[in-house]
Amino acid sequence: MKVWAIVERSATGLRRVSLELAAKAGQLGDAAVLEITGLERYSALPAVAALATKADAERPDLILVGATPMGRDLGARLAARLAWAYASEATDLSIDGSVLTAMRTMYAGKVRATVRAQLPAVVSVRPGAFTLPRGAAPAAKGGGEADRREEREPKIEEVPADASAERLAFLRFEPTAAASGRIPLGEARVVVSGGRGMKGPENWKMIEELADVLGAALGASRAVTDAGWRPNEEQVGQTGRTVSPDLYIALGISGAIQHLAGMTSSKVIVAVNKDPEADIFKVADYGVIADLFEFLPAFTREVKKAKEAS
Amino acid sequence: MKVLVCAKQTPDSTVRVKVASDGRSIDAGQVTWAISPYDEYAVELALERKDADPQTIVAVVTVGPARARDALRQALAMGCDEAILVTGQGAEALEGLAVARAFAKVVEEAKPDLVLCGRQASDDDQGFVGPALAEVLGWPHVATVTKFSPAELPHETSGPAGTPGTGGVDVWDVWKEVEGGHEVWRASGPAVLTVQKSEKEPRYPSLPGIMKAKKKGIPERDVASLGIDASAPKLEVVKMEPPPARGGGKILRDGGASAAAELVRLLREEAKVL
Repeated sequence: MKVWAIVERSATGLRRVSLELAAKAGQLGDAAVLEITGLERYSALPAVAALATKADAERPDLILVGATPMGRDLGARLAARLAWAYASEATDLSIDGSVLTAMRTMYAGKVRATVRAQLPAVVSVRPGAFTLPRGAAPAAKGGGEADRREEREPKIEEVPADASAERLAFLRFEPTAAASGRIPLGEARVVVSGGRGMKGPENWKMIEELADVLGAALGASRAVTDAGWRPNEEQVGQTGRTVSPDLYIALGISGAIQHLAGMTSSKVIVAVNKDPEADIFKVADYGVIADLFEFLPAFTREVKKAKEAS
Repeated sequence: MKVLVCAKQTPDSTVRVKVASDGRSIDAGQVTWAISPYDEYAVELALERKDADPQTIVAVVTVGPARARDALRQALAMGCDEAILVTGQGAEALEGLAVARAFAKVVEEAKPDLVLCGRQASDDDQGFVGPALAEVLGWPHVATVTKFSPAELPHETSGPAGTPGTGGVDVWDVWKEVEGGHEVWRASGPAVLTVQKSEKEPRYPSLPGIMKAKKKGIPERDVASLGIDASAPKLEVVKMEPPPARGGGKILRDGGASAAAELVRLLREEAKVL
């Protein structure tokens, strides 16, 4: 059983989901960890051309990609080129002989499904679906990071992108004004999300302070991104991101079904809302009925105290 | 220019879906149907181009059962010019790659300059058909698009898209949403764009729009007559279940500073996530 894990790099090193894939590939069989090189910006055609040529020659049984913006795009087109089965955003998978079984959500998170396909297959895997073996977790920022990175990186085979296959031209990158250099929403272990109850974009300073203390990514309800208070990419829910962090903190979010679909698979959910009838409390492990503007600064202070004490 | 939108009819996103008694599909009797949300954004984005350039023709196509005609009617009422329904026996059960081949047949006949799809349909959530359609056509694709416009080319070498000076080739600038912002990509010639969001909220059908849509014919194509290769890798659903039930959580009613301290204690000692 030959398994490929396609990894991705961010500014600070291999992405966590890539390490998760590499570890899983090793458990499943004869693993190779591949990285597309030579592209300043990921683009589907040169990446797919290079991988498809290699797959034709080496015949892996399973190709794993992260369910990241790049992985979902690459996985779909690669599967179409190879005419292999494709499952996106798997939250678990197993192999029995030549049959792949995967768990994934459908209907925008409202249904959990078990799906089956014949190998060979391409699967995109949700960040956090597989736990990292001990010692493989990305190092925290700070001294000695380079050494630790060396230690935790699996052996990577470079696959040069096929530049001759490109049909598009990259013009420029336009950063979002509010972009903060935070951890991507889909991969964060802690997410702090704000809703209409935050009353206005100027109040996000309070959310950012809490997120800073927690090392969290920022999320938002659709009402908030539609109103232009926060960038679209922070939207959690049906037409935004689906997240399943260890801790999801919903601040002033009422809990429309489309929002709930995007976050109910979080391990622990905290909701703060002044409306005791808000639907968000139906999925919360811990609910606080409170005026956000009183509660939030106090909560941030308490978290900071606790973090400093530990 | 002509834009073709590939859309799918899926359960209305504002309603709950229930797993059927067979444990591997949803209870269709309980469902109201609508255009899949991302496909609705794709329709809106195409209509925004038509607002900017009224010469633009926006066509919409779906592959599915007979009821999918309602989704097309909805798109026409929003302002699309034409609609095509690919249906017939087996249309609903086609696997992703075969659906892409069916769309590709329609694209080859309709000859649009650009094809728009939602980034994923809100039933299978796969996000496969858009990139697969580009693959079948041999076109490039750009994913998670939020905007496109005719390229701003230096004046002496070109005019607006499609005019002499670009060699008869339409050149498009396409905004792709990525982490931290947007990448702007240029496509020279036809491309498939999978849409993340439109610039504005999808428009509601106007009353005249609804009246006009009622009068428009929606030609039907039998999927069997397209002559596509229907063999495709299968992704079989063997089980469906509702997400694990949640709730029964602890509620702190006194929202003051003591609640803040209590919540931190619970998150550390009980939930062990701090």
